[in-house]
Amino acid sequence: MTQVSIGSLSDFPEGTPTRVEADGTALCIVRVGDTIHAICDDCPHAEASLSEGDFLADDMAIECPLHGSAFNLTTGDPDCPPATEAVEVFTVTVDGDSVLVDV
Amino acid sequence: MTIALIAGSGMAGRAAALTLRRVGWTGEIVLVGDDSEYPYDRPPLSKSVVIGTADMNKVIKPAPEVYEQEAIDLRRGVTVTGADATAKTAELSDGSTVAWDALVLATGCAPRQLPIPGLDLPGVYRVTRLDEALEIQAVLATGPKHLAIIGGGFIGMEVAAAAVAAGHTATVLEAAPEPMSRPLGLEVAERVLQWATDRGVVVRAGVGVEQVSGDDIATGVRLVGGEEIDADLVIVAVGQTPRLELAQQLGCEEVVGGIKVDAGMRTSVADVYAVGDIAAFPSTWADEDRIRVEHAAVAIGHGQVAAEQIATGEGRYDDLPSFWSDQGDITLNVVGVTRPDDEIVWRGDQALPACTAFYLREGTMRAAFSVSDMKTLRGVRKLFAAGVSPTREQLADPAVDLAALAAAG
Repeated sequence: MTQVSIGSLSDFPEGTPTRVEADGTALCIVRVGDTIHAICDDCPHAEASLSEGDFLADDMAIECPLHGSAFNLTTGDPDCPPATEAVEVFTVTVDGDSVLVDV
Repeated sequence: MTIALIAGSGMAGRAAALTLRRVGWTGEIVLVGDDSEYPYDRPPLSKSVVIGTADMNKVIKPAPEVYEQEAIDLRRGVTVTGADATAKTAELSDGSTVAWDALVLATGCAPRQLPIPGLDLPGVYRVTRLDEALEIQAVLATGPKHLAIIGGGFIGMEVAAAAVAAGHTATVLEAAPEPMSRPLGLEVAERVLQWATDRGVVVRAGVGVEQVSGDDIATGVRLVGGEEIDADLVIVAVGQTPRLELAQQLGCEEVVGGIKVDAGMRTSVADVYAVGDIAAFPSTWADEDRIRVEHAAVAIGHGQVAAEQIATGEGRYDDLPSFWSDQGDITLNVVGVTRPDDEIVWRGDQALPACTAFYLREGTMRAAFSVSDMKTLRGVRKLFAAGVSPTREQLADPAVDLAALAAAG
């Protein structure tokens, strides 16, 4: 486990999923207020980039742009088929303006 | 020691094995599959695998070492050749006998056999197993090819669309006059077909295939009437039939061409479960008493529920049925249960590559088809969950927020 800086808070617009590479791992980053969420960017179901999907504020989830399963940002669990596996969730630390992810 | 024997290592069988461990079941798990490969996802075979763009780590999953870590006794290239419901034993093709406490039948389907000559020629392929899809991949990798695809269902059309997008040419030969009209309805199927033909897929509907032509290697197909379609390779995708022999030997009750199960995936025989393609299961979402569905998401859900039943005696399968199909650069999503004669209501005047259609039966929404409109699809799921069916006018109006209608009840 290494802690990697992925930029500053201002790099991540509110509610807009952003793809970031951290130490070789593709992450989907979403800012909600001053909290940053990081999940694996690869949909566990098929070949899709979750950062191209929509952030669903009511469900605190990212919706896969291809088949519509929405992954909870805290648990990683999908809410409906076709995905059945959870996506990996990464621990994020916001240190001042700096955003650090454990990958 | 309690033993769960899972006959079939496809998506349903694999899900059953992994779920047993996920819910903390500590008995012995024997997962038997006739495929010599480690268990894999089947949907990519006709899409990214044939054209060589698939990440194989995402196709063959979980990673092979997981079976050892999870103490799942995976036996590849092995079939269950016989089973006895009273003695609770099964004979395997590797010569062993397994005394089981729970038996999960996940035997899937066998490809339908076409009664035409020439199918055993080199250059004739199917897309039902990974090794077959990889053979096609190897041929397509050598340069632009012309594919003759027998069968214009989702699989045949997916292969055609993927191949054309990758720079090959493809002719799809379909016996029915309207390809894909049974699962999608005529109006929706026509749009999808038009999309494919606009991108270069040649579709010949309502044609019979007389034989695969060629002496030592397939050179094409001959249609009824004598017309020859030349091809570098011939792909047969004419559907499949459920493998019920093992279930029949055990005395499981059959219905609608499958093995009758309850919502817990239990067959009529004690401690025997049927999952995936072979299961005829009850569904809130269908009119019929039991339905049989050959789609990945349903197979996985069945496997999970059977595992929960074995481990805890609880768990019901009643998911809203759904499936998807990649046709080249578009992904079709269908939720609910369609019928060919359902009334179609389009949402606005949208067209592919982004549009939604609703399937209505006696005025009630029963399913939806959508390409690239996840918001509407999500609204549809919420409507189903809430038991709300909007009016035709509401469905047809893109300005109407379906999720809000669901929330309002």
